[in-house]
Amino acid sequence: MSIPLAPPRARGLPALSRAGAMLLVLVGAAIMLAPFYFMFVFATHARAEIFQLPPPLVFGRTLLDNIGILEAHIPFWRNLGWSLYVGVMSTALTLLVASIGGYAFAMYEFRFKNALFALVLGMMMLPSFLSMIPTFLIMDALGWIDQPRALYVPSAANAFGVFLMRQFIATSIPREIVEAARMDGCGEFRIYRSIVLPLLGPPLGVLGLIAFIASWNNFIGPLVVLRSSAMYTLPLALRSMQNPVNAEWGALMAGAAIATLPLMVAFALASRRLISGLTAGAIK
Amino acid sequence: MAAFPSVDAILKAANGDWQAREPGVELEVVSRAMVDHHTAMVTSIATRSHLPDVIAIELSYLGRFAGSGALEDLSQPAYGARELSAQFVPFAVRQATTPQGALVALPADVAPGTLFYRLDRLEKSGADLGELTRSWESFVATGVRLKAETGAHLIAHARDLKDVIVRANMGPNEGTYVDHAGRVLVDSPRFHRAFELARQVRVQGLDARTTAWSSEWAEGLRRGTIATQMMGSWLAGHLCSWLAPTTAGLWRAAQLPDGVHCAWGGTFYAIPKEAKNKPLALELIKLMTLDPKRQLAAFKSEDSFPALLETYGDGFFEAPIAFLGGQRARLIWRDAAQAILPFSVHRLDPIATEIVDSALDDVLGEGVDIPTALGEAQRMLERRALRA
Amino acid sequence: MRRPSAGFRLAARLRIASAPYLFLSPFLLLFAVFGLVPLAFSVAMACMRWDPVEGFGSMRFVGAENFAFTLGDPWFWKSLYNTLWLSLAAGVPQHVVAIPLAYFLHRALARTRNAIVAAYFLPYITSTVAIAILASALFSTDYGLVNDAVRSLAALPGLGSLLPAEGVDWLGSSRAVKPTVAIVVFWRYVGFNTVLYLAALQAIPREIYEASEIDGAGAWMRFRFITLPLLRPTMLFGVTLSVIGGLQLFEEPFILTPDGRGGPSHAAMTTAMYMYRTAFEFNDFGSASAISWLLFAVVGILVFVAYRWLRPRGAEA
Repeated sequence: MSIPLAPPRARGLPALSRAGAMLLVLVGAAIMLAPFYFMFVFATHARAEIFQLPPPLVFGRTLLDNIGILEAHIPFWRNLGWSLYVGVMSTALTLLVASIGGYAFAMYEFRFKNALFALVLGMMMLPSFLSMIPTFLIMDALGWIDQPRALYVPSAANAFGVFLMRQFIATSIPREIVEAARMDGCGEFRIYRSIVLPLLGPPLGVLGLIAFIASWNNFIGPLVVLRSSAMYTLPLALRSMQNPVNAEWGALMAGAAIATLPLMVAFALASRRLISGLTAGAIK
Repeated sequence: MAAFPSVDAILKAANGDWQAREPGVELEVVSRAMVDHHTAMVTSIATRSHLPDVIAIELSYLGRFAGSGALEDLSQPAYGARELSAQFVPFAVRQATTPQGALVALPADVAPGTLFYRLDRLEKSGADLGELTRSWESFVATGVRLKAETGAHLIAHARDLKDVIVRANMGPNEGTYVDHAGRVLVDSPRFHRAFELARQVRVQGLDARTTAWSSEWAEGLRRGTIATQMMGSWLAGHLCSWLAPTTAGLWRAAQLPDGVHCAWGGTFYAIPKEAKNKPLALELIKLMTLDPKRQLAAFKSEDSFPALLETYGDGFFEAPIAFLGGQRARLIWRDAAQAILPFSVHRLDPIATEIVDSALDDVLGEGVDIPTALGEAQRMLERRALRA
Repeated sequence: MRRPSAGFRLAARLRIASAPYLFLSPFLLLFAVFGLVPLAFSVAMACMRWDPVEGFGSMRFVGAENFAFTLGDPWFWKSLYNTLWLSLAAGVPQHVVAIPLAYFLHRALARTRNAIVAAYFLPYITSTVAIAILASALFSTDYGLVNDAVRSLAALPGLGSLLPAEGVDWLGSSRAVKPTVAIVVFWRYVGFNTVLYLAALQAIPREIYEASEIDGAGAWMRFRFITLPLLRPTMLFGVTLSVIGGLQLFEEPFILTPDGRGGPSHAAMTTAMYMYRTAFEFNDFGSASAISWLLFAVVGILVFVAYRWLRPRGAEA
């Protein structure tokens, strides 16, 4: 018996409203891009030019000068290196800790599960600056002041990460897979590592990106635990140039623009991973 | 050494002289943005840990740190600063002295307040400097003429006027907001006068409604739509170098109206009690504050007005300033620095400033009348004062 | 499949029972050291009076006085109002725009999708230093491009009469500063939510859509009865994040208002900003802790409400 196929119809919307929607989306994208664009434009202008109104709209010629000013004030490239190191370590640790933790919450029933999860959620809701002074004390007691590990180790206790992973695992990975593997005699950790983990491409990509960005832009953490300018990460270093009265705005913009480049790379990497991971994961 | 821009530049420049005095001792300067620096110092002081040997402190934070008990009393015989204090501008020393008589810091620079005004705008309006500066009332009246004849605003923001008036004419036992007995002074004639004049300025459209250091403010200075600016003397350097270089020759400096003298900042150096190298720290502070050569060097490169009286005889003060049309403005500022009256600081000052500013916003923006706004502010502050 | 022996099953059960604790142990350990200790500190702080500059010895126990004071503080309530206003004004459009946008990108575009998603995501990674300067330039009352546009539009007949001819004092008037901050927050996070929904949409199997097309369902019906329900878990997640993020809103109002004071008449001061200023400018750590706990209570209630409202019916989420 043959099932009559419906005649092929245009997918989605008729052409005109589709074009209209496209236009809207493009205008929106332009608005999203604009400040970003200006940041790069300002990076190539001298301080006096930036402060004009209307501000400069096209690229100028003082980028190299600005970088020179930047280097004269702070050990910029070294700070960039520290930001990269801390960012990568923080992301790696966060992914490890959060994925296995989220798996535990999603796949197992155990006593205290709800209480612990509530604790995790609760921790997400607390703002960070009140913990500045106790954090300083803890780091001092551990001897970690002025060391990068004081930044990336605590960052791995990322409640948001656990929440995200749990959400994804619970909705996208059927229990049957795990049960079947158990029946076959697989150890718990092996189940996690060989079966579940490969399917976690998309959320790992998202979480990795978010963790990297958070680590990169974090300045309260470094403000508390870093003491010498050679160990600073970028946001702190750039802020240390921000004399309220005499800021070298051109150099600052150049620093900020350069500081954004690794984030863009991270985003490109993550979105590629997201796409490939998603097409694999969608097959159930 | 912990500091902030541009004090860090001044310290680094001193390295040559420092090496001459103390060969082999390295000078390590840790610099942060000014607000971050003071926050980090609060953290360190709270935990009494990881404190540098010398801390640079900005005037507005000095009161808070002075009362903390975390800084060494430099008037003790070991430091001998008591005898040295006569060499500095009087108000700076008073500011660094706690009510108990401890001298917790030495002044490196002060920022005497001055009135910058556009000579061309003033002349066009037909008014003269005397009218502008005789009293606050005449200042505002001149503003009306400036607006009518030239279209320029008198000041950047009405709040600036309120700030200056409130800080002047304090009674003998009064701080800015609270007196020595802990009574709140907000609902008093001094504040009423300040608010009334600010309101007049706003109602008559005499202020440009821009905050200092915003792009609009810079643009207003460039285009001459802001006719006067009260600020520290160092503003001249900024106007010249990047804020409004095209207006060279059009500005002049004068003493603040109504015979007021106040400071727009200042840098002090202190030694925390937990410092490890106190004798060396003292040597560094002495180098930065008592050595005329370093004081003048900082003056010339970073526009840091010296706190050391000995420098005041230097020829540099007599030099004409090209940006100000050749005016010998430093002489004005020198007189102002010596005439500044010290003001006592109180624990509640930061929150009081906030409360009063908010009250002024209500008066200017929401049309609340002054007695109501100040009464409310008084009550709010009293409520907090009671918690002490 | 052969049945495993009893001994094997017992060992397996132990292994399975202990697994979650083992798996969670790294997180819990880190959390205990770096999360709970500061948490406990701030609980203790909420009942003390402490000016940090005076050192640890000066802490004084005052019971519930900090809470009493905060609950009677008009500025606290004002900040709460501001926070809720901003959360809604910025948060609702974020999701209302992100869902259709993600759907459109998912269905209608393939080649240019990545580029457009990247464009929408960029605000999330732009540095706050840059945003602050740019916002003040664009929203400048006298010289900004936004007001230029407003003034030009106001000159048009008809619709133009609704707009003020002199432009709007975006950052300087207490009425306009809130919408301005909301716009910036929306701009910053709408891309993030779009990516989130896009990822979720791409996980929905095609077969469901194709089957419904065969059954004759139109585009709108497909969206309403297939897409939306399947997006529910993601919406719950996204809304929870927005609620938490919105109620803790600090960075954007901080950088957009001079000195981070919250603008004229504190119109844009959020509770998180108020707490920060109480701790570091008014030097009152005890009250700041009390404020943070009160805010936490508010956040907790709202998250609970969101969970009840968006909890998927039927399937375990």
